[in-house]
Amino acid sequence: MKPIGIWGWVATAILFVLLLLAPQLAPRLHLALTICTDVLLFAIAAMAVNLLLGYTGVLPFGNAAFFGLGAYGAGLSIQNFHVGFITSLVIGTLAGVVGAVLIGPFLLRRRGIYFALLMIAFGQVFYFIAYRFTNITGGEDGMNFTRPPLEGLGIHLQDAGFYYAILLIFTLVVVGFWLLVRSPFGRTLVAIKQNEVRARYLGLNTDRFIFVALMISAAIEGLAGACYGLSIMFAYPLLLDWHQSGDIVLMTILGGAGTIFGPLVGAIIYVIGEDILSTALPWWQIPLGALFVACVLGFPKGLLGTALDLLPGRKNRIEPGHDLDFAAPIIADRETTR
Amino acid sequence: MAHIAPEIFNGLILGAFYAVVAIGLSLIMNLTGTINMAHGSFMTLAGYLAFALVGAGTNYWYALAIAPLMAVAVGILMERTMIRPLYRRDPVYSLLLTFGISLIAEEAFRLIWGPNGVPFSPPKGLGGGISLGFTVFPVYRLFIAGALVVIILALVIFLQHTRYGLRLRAAVQDREMISALGTNTQLLYMVNFGLGILIAGIAGVLAAGMLGLNPQSGNSLLMPAFVTVIVGGMGSLFGAIVGGLLIGLAISLTTLYIPAASEIAMYVIMAVVLLVRPRGLFGEEGIFG
Amino acid sequence: MSDLLLEAKGVGKRFGGVHAVEDVSLRVYAGSINAIIGPNGAGKTTFFNTLSGFYFPDAGSVSFTGADVTRAPSYDRVRMGMGRTFQTSSVFPELTVYENLAVGIESADNLSFRFRTLSRAQRATLDQKVDRLLGFVGLGAVAHRPLAELAHGSQRLCEIAMSLSTEPKLVLLDEPMAGLAQAETSRVVSVIRNLHAELGLTVLFVEHNMRVVLSLAQQITVLDRGRVLATGTPTEISANAEVREAYIGKEVIEHV
Repeated sequence: MKPIGIWGWVATAILFVLLLLAPQLAPRLHLALTICTDVLLFAIAAMAVNLLLGYTGVLPFGNAAFFGLGAYGAGLSIQNFHVGFITSLVIGTLAGVVGAVLIGPFLLRRRGIYFALLMIAFGQVFYFIAYRFTNITGGEDGMNFTRPPLEGLGIHLQDAGFYYAILLIFTLVVVGFWLLVRSPFGRTLVAIKQNEVRARYLGLNTDRFIFVALMISAAIEGLAGACYGLSIMFAYPLLLDWHQSGDIVLMTILGGAGTIFGPLVGAIIYVIGEDILSTALPWWQIPLGALFVACVLGFPKGLLGTALDLLPGRKNRIEPGHDLDFAAPIIADRETTR
Repeated sequence: MAHIAPEIFNGLILGAFYAVVAIGLSLIMNLTGTINMAHGSFMTLAGYLAFALVGAGTNYWYALAIAPLMAVAVGILMERTMIRPLYRRDPVYSLLLTFGISLIAEEAFRLIWGPNGVPFSPPKGLGGGISLGFTVFPVYRLFIAGALVVIILALVIFLQHTRYGLRLRAAVQDREMISALGTNTQLLYMVNFGLGILIAGIAGVLAAGMLGLNPQSGNSLLMPAFVTVIVGGMGSLFGAIVGGLLIGLAISLTTLYIPAASEIAMYVIMAVVLLVRPRGLFGEEGIFG
Repeated sequence: MSDLLLEAKGVGKRFGGVHAVEDVSLRVYAGSINAIIGPNGAGKTTFFNTLSGFYFPDAGSVSFTGADVTRAPSYDRVRMGMGRTFQTSSVFPELTVYENLAVGIESADNLSFRFRTLSRAQRATLDQKVDRLLGFVGLGAVAHRPLAELAHGSQRLCEIAMSLSTEPKLVLLDEPMAGLAQAETSRVVSVIRNLHAELGLTVLFVEHNMRVVLSLAQQITVLDRGRVLATGTPTEISANAEVREAYIGKEVIEHV
């Protein structure tokens, strides 16, 4: 929550200049432009995780449910109703929110590992639905669809055009996120993360705040998933799977949960790393797994979080939920509600 | 009846597998706050090790005993070197770490034993079937059922009637107290983790002969086991057993009638249970009571 | 006497098979300073927690401002005008003193669900309210330091200010002197006195420092082994034979 200062603004400005120039820079670095698009998409997805993990203190291992719902939401609406580009994104976003509304009430009663466990389990429901309801979703094979033209203009966004559309969405999400975490709501979430009992004794019904945070997160996740669907013009069950959740959580932690640009840093390393390694090594899941291990043991605050710690006057940045009493199964004043 | 009976029987066996895996997960989760995403990998590991041992000429029974112990050795090594530093930290870290390890393990199995799975047939003595008049039950499944019952009973006796088991349960209930009493908590964590892996390993070897053995076979039991923990009630031994059998039956029977809904059935059960009893069926009973 | 603000009737609470608190009744009138005392394990904190909604009692009832709150969640009680502190200071350690107070003030002003930054006017009001609270507890100099960096006594004072941030009628303080150094204790004592004298608030606190209790409280309830041993003014309590007996040989005598 600290002001980022002049150097923070400078760094942000440089970052956006680089992102704007990416279609020109990428070929020189032997990167496909789609990789740059993926970086932005997954940065959005990781920001959704960051809102919950870094700012609210709950672990959304199961977020891929919302990501995948976004992709299927966009794909199904394009396939069945021939909607336009923006509409398909809106529908994908809403699909994520609907998922959160369905499973949220089950998750809210618990915190800590119990929340995580419930979210892993409930998140997987959507995977099996997509996997089994073959006549709607195409089952295991997934579903192909085309990227629809932009409403009104009839323009088909391709390559750099599509990249800039995603960059615009990314920018909007970053600005929205930045405003949100500086708002009273954002401050309240951080307070809940640090000490939920105290927050309740300030008159805050914390369940409602966590539920709203979950819905906002699911909306962002759904939007990211819809963008991804439009990017690859394909939706398949593994997008909803917990392995996908793990990847997105990893990006968040890798970059630094609780920082605005941590998810982007994590997505850059993950997506580009995956691209290089998976073409070079058939067994690339081993370095990926090793990355999880190294990140957890070596950089618990993430790369950006660790780097920010090194700046003068910015010590004591927190890692997610530091030393929570994981066993606290339920909020105390509910403990005996029976 | 004739066609339901085998399905019920298979469902109960499947359920017993879920129960055994869930108990191990639950032990680790309750004592140390670690959601062990690599639990399934240890089942697969034990299965492959047994397969390798049998392939090298070892007797099946020795393999059934040795392979899980080898998995335990790997598990304890992992616990001591990697998970232990995370106990005082947010659960997200141990979850991510074990998830990473499961990715490594899966790829390693694929590299060593191939991506498509290997045939791991039960020993000759356990082949064939027993006729029960209306149907024929494979001997190997009867053996598995018996073995799982023995494992579960042994666990119940260990946790409820031995000094070490009681100490484990006490530690699960109150970690502060147990260290105040002078018990070596770090040792307790290690034994607890090893115990969880041991039963997962035995189940892994048994399952290999019935459900097949491939790089993901253990992981496919993990999600039903999570659901079992939730349905039975976090930390309830009895709940894990009842929950596992219930889900095994549900999956097996829906597979018979509505194959498309077989996995979804367990989520329906989970949702209904949570609506009626937010802490699971036996969550109120206390920790491993 | 003035209005009855908080009333507990026959409150009981068991943990496992053990009665931590049994049949405890208490009345707190508006504008008074009240204390709950008793030896360790007397059930003070458990009883206190049933009043503030941290636990729900197994028996009996609690009413606040005339409404039954026996099973009301903590946040509802706070909205009705109850504030509390904890034995070990319960704050937001990584947030600054200013932010700690802002969370409570925004909650009371129904601004917590605002998704945009505050308007200039709202910000000015917030600053003003924070300043007033900081002035009251004397933490103005450290307003923009994270709580985790502050001394124990300052954290406790911040916590008291937080409990005031929701504009309560009644402030519940759970062992406000616990773990404080001598100098810090006297500062907290004077703040508690001012809660009553300057702000006109009703105060109920749990304490086992007998000297603090006798000098601050107007009405004292003594608990022993989960039951009420005596209720009365400081003079009555210090003259009570049973109370003296309960305290003989107990650690509390050292503080007297």
